[in-house]
Amino acid sequence: MTDRPPEFDDLVGGDDLDPGERARLRRVHDLLVAAGPPAELPPALAASEHREAAVVPFRRPSRRRQGVAAVLAAALAVAAFGVGYFVGDRTGESSAEPEFVLPMTGDGASASLAVFPLDEAGNWPMKMTVVGLPPLPPGQRYELWLTKQGRLAESCGRFVVVAEGRTIVALNAPYRLRAFDGWVVTKAGSEEPLLHTT
Amino acid sequence: MTTMPAVSTVGTSDGDLIVRIAGGDRGAFDELYRRYARPVLGLALRRLGDRGRAEDAVQEAFAAVWRSAGSYRPERGSGAPWLYTVARNAIVDGLRRTPEPAADPPEVPSTDTGPPERAEAAWVAWRVHRALEELSDQERPLIELAYYGGLSQSEIAEFLSLPLGTVKTRTRAALARLADVLEEELR
Repeated sequence: MTDRPPEFDDLVGGDDLDPGERARLRRVHDLLVAAGPPAELPPALAASEHREAAVVPFRRPSRRRQGVAAVLAAALAVAAFGVGYFVGDRTGESSAEPEFVLPMTGDGASASLAVFPLDEAGNWPMKMTVVGLPPLPPGQRYELWLTKQGRLAESCGRFVVVAEGRTIVALNAPYRLRAFDGWVVTKAGSEEPLLHTT
Repeated sequence: MTTMPAVSTVGTSDGDLIVRIAGGDRGAFDELYRRYARPVLGLALRRLGDRGRAEDAVQEAFAAVWRSAGSYRPERGSGAPWLYTVARNAIVDGLRRTPEPAADPPEVPSTDTGPPERAEAAWVAWRVHRALEELSDQERPLIELAYYGGLSQSEIAEFLSLPLGTVKTRTRAALARLADVLEEELR
C-alpha cells in the first residue's frame, strides 16, 4: 500500500457535482483512507474447496473422549458462568473477551471498565468493576457517562454499590465510541466526576 | 458440492443469507464467503499480525458462521455486526489456543490511538472492506488502485487500457455506490 492517499479533487473532477453529493463522496473518500487496504486472499482461501472445508462436519470423537469432554465442558461451564452472566445473550461462539479494558481513577476510588465487542444491534456491552465508592442514600444512584470535550455527553446507565468490597455492574454504550473522548462516573443528577478514565 | 446455489443469492441481504445458512443452504454460504472473506482476513491480520495464522483464522471463522448461524436473530439487527462478532470471537478463540510467539506483537500495526479508537477503526475497516465487495468487477480495481495502489488516474487508465474519461466516470460512480452501501456510516 502507498502511504500517499489520492487527492479527492483529482478523483471526482470538476465543478459539475452538486455540493451535497460532493460532501457525501468526500466522506466515502475519508472512510476509504481510514480503513486502509483490504486483505488479499491467497489462492488457497479463494478456492471453493476451502469453503467446502468449512462446512464439513467435525469427526465425532470416541466415546471415551466424549466422556472426558463432558467433564471438561461441565467444569468450563461453571467457570464461565460468572463472566457469561454479565455478557448475557451475546452472539456467536464462546468468547467473552473484552475488546479493551480501561482503568478509571478518582479520589479514594477506582474502577475497571471492560468493553465487549459491538453486538448486532449496535451496543457496546460493558462490565465495570468498582472499588471504593461509598453507598449512596436510598433512591440515589451513580451514573456512567461518555464525555465529549470534557463534558457529560451520553449516559451509559446507572448503578448502586455495596458497602464494602467490589461492585460489578453490567452497563451499555449504544453509541459510536469514536465520537467521545472518555468516560466518567458521577452521582446521578450531578456533573461532578467521581471517577474518570485516564 | 455444487457451486451454483439452488436459489439465486444475488441481491440477498447478509441477514437473509445467514438465515438460509442456518437451514443448511451451501449456496448462501458461498455467497456470504464471497462477500466477507477479505474483511474476515483483514480483521484476523489486525488481531494476529501474522499472515499464516490469520489465514487459518479465516477458515475457523467461517466454520463458526456455519455452526452458529442458527443463533442469528434478524429482528435484532442486520447481518454485518453479527458476522463481525462471530468472526472476531473465532479469531480470539484461535489466539487462545495458539498464543503468538513471544517475539510477535499482539496487535498490528501499533498506533498512537487508544483502545476505543482502535476498536472503532476495526469496525469501520470491516464495513468499508465489505462495501468494496459490492462494487462491480469494473469498478473495484479502480478504487483499490487509486487508494491502495498509489496510482494516479492517468496511470490507472494506462494500466487498465481504458480512456482517462472512463476511469474518472467509473471512479466517481464507484464512490457513489460505496456511499449508498455505507449510508449508515455516513450519517
